Amino acid sequence: MKNEITLQTRREFLRTTVLGSALSWTVPAFLADTFAALQGEAADSSTQIVTGKDATILVVLQMAGGNDGLNTVVPYSNDFYHNARPKIGLSADKILKLNDDIAFHGAMGGFKNLYDSGNLAVVQGVGYPNPNRSHFRSTEIWQTASDSDKIEKYGWLGRYFDNACNGADPAVGVVIGNQLPESFFAAQPKGICFDNPQNYRFMANNAATEESYKKLNELEMSSPLPDGGPAMTSDDNANSGSSIGMLPAGMPMQGGRAIDFITRTALDAQQSSDEVRNIAARVQNQATYPVSPLGNSLKLVAKLIGGGLPTRIYYVSQGGYDTHSNQLGTQNRLLQDLGDSMKSFVEDMKAQGNMQRVLVMTFSEFGRRVNENANGGTDHGAAGPMFIVGNKVKAGLLGRYPSLAPQDLFQGDIKYNVDFRSVYASVLESWLKTKSAPILGKQFDPLQIV
Amino acid sequence: MLNPLSSSQWNYAMAAHLLNRAGFGGSPADIEKLADLDHDQAVSSLLDYENIYDPTPNPVWATPDPDRLTKLRADIKAATPADAKQLQQQENRMQAEHLNELRGWWFNRMANGPRPFQEKMVLFWHGHFATSIEKVRGTPNSTYLMWRQNELFRRLATDNWLRLLIETGKDPAMLIYLDQALSQKEHPNENFAREVMELFSLGEGHYTEHDITEAARALTGWSYDRLNQKFIYRPGIHDDGTKTVLGLTGNLEGEDFLAQIVKQPQAARFITAKLWNYFSGQFPSDELNTALAEVFRYNGNDFKPFLRVMFRCEEFYGDDIVRNEVKSPVQWLVGSARMLESELPPPFICNAITTSLGQTLFAPPSVKGWDGGTAWITTNTLLDRYNDAVTLVMGTAQQLTASDFALKQGGAGGQKLARLAQRIQVGGVKVEKILTPEERADKDSIVASLQHRLFQTVLDTSQQEALREFLDSKQQLSDADILTTIRLMMSTPEYQVT
Repeated sequence: MKNEITLQTRREFLRTTVLGSALSWTVPAFLADTFAALQGEAADSSTQIVTGKDATILVVLQMAGGNDGLNTVVPYSNDFYHNARPKIGLSADKILKLNDDIAFHGAMGGFKNLYDSGNLAVVQGVGYPNPNRSHFRSTEIWQTASDSDKIEKYGWLGRYFDNACNGADPAVGVVIGNQLPESFFAAQPKGICFDNPQNYRFMANNAATEESYKKLNELEMSSPLPDGGPAMTSDDNANSGSSIGMLPAGMPMQGGRAIDFITRTALDAQQSSDEVRNIAARVQNQATYPVSPLGNSLKLVAKLIGGGLPTRIYYVSQGGYDTHSNQLGTQNRLLQDLGDSMKSFVEDMKAQGNMQRVLVMTFSEFGRRVNENANGGTDHGAAGPMFIVGNKVKAGLLGRYPSLAPQDLFQGDIKYNVDFRSVYASVLESWLKTKSAPILGKQFDPLQIV
Repeated sequence: MLNPLSSSQWNYAMAAHLLNRAGFGGSPADIEKLADLDHDQAVSSLLDYENIYDPTPNPVWATPDPDRLTKLRADIKAATPADAKQLQQQENRMQAEHLNELRGWWFNRMANGPRPFQEKMVLFWHGHFATSIEKVRGTPNSTYLMWRQNELFRRLATDNWLRLLIETGKDPAMLIYLDQALSQKEHPNENFAREVMELFSLGEGHYTEHDITEAARALTGWSYDRLNQKFIYRPGIHDDGTKTVLGLTGNLEGEDFLAQIVKQPQAARFITAKLWNYFSGQFPSDELNTALAEVFRYNGNDFKPFLRVMFRCEEFYGDDIVRNEVKSPVQWLVGSARMLESELPPPFICNAITTSLGQTLFAPPSVKGWDGGTAWITTNTLLDRYNDAVTLVMGTAQQLTASDFALKQGGAGGQKLARLAQRIQVGGVKVEKILTPEERADKDSIVASLQHRLFQTVLDTSQQEALREFLDSKQQLSDADILTTIRLMMSTPEYQVT
């Protein structure tokens, strides 16, 4: 049956709980999903309930720019390594040995500490077939989990939200920063973004202004819609219909009106800002973090976790890894910051009693060329290591270190041993407890990480 | 395709659209002036900016300074470690002050200068040939280098494709940013060779990895003269062997490589699609892109005649284009000042605002520039837009916090700037400039007039009612109440598009 309903305001809409599950595109996805969930129509077994108190949490940490894996997880006893890197190869006094062959970069005391306490897994030689050496294309491949010759519209985390987080509010995904990463692009966009919770609100000088702001940013349910009004039928579903409902978050506009995208973002902002700000003001960190953008980001994530924001995915990033010249100093500073920030975050999680619930996964779009260049740097390469931090990780070195023998290289780059999507598959299945194949497009053998 | 807009369709709304896109918008009077011209004349009044005198003087420090640098280096060498450190810090502080001035200088040209279209093109090239002070900062007299690149984009704003590629490739800031200055025949650095094809001229998939390594060889010898702060060709580090790039074989030089790029039909498709997207807010269809590229090539890869066709064509005034582009942070700031006939805040506040909205001039996030479009809008940046409107309209910067000023330097200096910002008056809108006494006296007229100025269209009925309710809640309308009304209008999804 078809009901024609015209609602004047969002509040009125929220009060009207007798709606069918199918809502037109002007309704933000999470509202549509919430009603669907309330009605029990989305009580699919794969739907995840998020309470903010007990669900597992994934923190994705992007090392942007292409981190030089060889000088991060160092094959220090390998002659090929030292031959290829006469200037920037790390000598015995600049590393932290893990065994007779492999060592961490000397600045990674924080990681060494986590490794020794059984909280860190190092996945060696991660990459994908036919590696692309463009920052932007390779980042896109990692963010969308696509094959290197295919373009995917949506991100892997976006597809996780689409597949497994029906009914969740927009804060199910939180990005610390002011841009949504491509991995969040989704058919039903979710995820909020901020870097400074203090400013994450509409600042009004008085109540009347605040009230007017809310009215001006309400959904215009009274305006005529392309199909003549919000048709509420119970046999449609929320993501059918107009292409505008499919507009991915942050994605360049391809059809659809910019204004619809902004209107939905405005509502998400209104919905989430009070809670985020309250938590950030209330929760205290229980560890001291390095003073750096990454340190600040993880500090904020810790607060939000401590405050029980109903979030499954946090996303933070650290830039600067594109070391074409004078790599030693730059990478030293970055890895120091990374290790120290991570160590503080783990301490904080342990003090909160939330360490059981949290898994951190790092990635970088590619490793770098085995041979150093003439400027004390390295050019774009292929495979590199990933780090997984958590209480329940299979701690230690996972996978094999790729061979550095010249005959085993492809165009001067090491070959991957582990497809990054096997790591994603494991995170999805063992940690987020959802089927990976619908999200990754096919079944990858999950690498046992957790 | 690309037929001129018929004269019957040329009106106030279309003139507003042209001024918003080929410039940074304007007041109702500015738009009326444009609408009174023929479409052809209107386009020409913006594009043929050479006929307009621009009196903006160059910053006094905008010059190479080998003598000063030589002396500084000698002084540092002769000083004790503590004094040397202090000298270096002094120098860094001066460069930072110059950078602040440079931003103000450019913001001012965009907001108040007589050639808005030229400045819009400079902004395009800055995002296209993205170069960041964050890396160039390590080189002496870095602010001069950023200014010099900005002037290059101004000088060649609508010039020739190959000339732009060559001059940008030899530009000191670019030579440093993409490491070309360091490249030499043993182990050439591939950074510039790759990005010039991937991001500046052809796009991913239109060259091979082999083209990159070969192009990097051809480019060796292009270097930077640190003392005199200019490009220098160093034959000693040039690889003069035979290379093959994009099908061309020979003892190629950097210029040969870039000329070979421009010969590819894809190079015309790539840059015309990017310009169409920048000005229209949409990606062109394949068919439209083909037509655009054809016009461009027909005109010898010169930008001016191509852009004239673009701003004249009816496709540019389609329903899918008009009022369907997200304002960039710079457009939001500069456009608001022009629209509201208000003064820009001081440079450090302008910079804090656009930075909080995701766009820092002279510091694009990567060599890819800014993604633009809906990527400007997140829950965070949208609320920031709503709050930054207070600064522009009320002339107080109280909502800006230390972190807005700290930028990427981890917090240093942010507190001081935030305290300073809270003490000063930063421009703001003058009610008597934008409302006549008659309009001011009637609440419906206030809403109608402001709506006409800010949106060039009408808001949703419920939004108009909300504004009317706000005005009705006031006994006696003060200027502050009117300014709050403007701020509220700017705190809508509708204000974020143009």
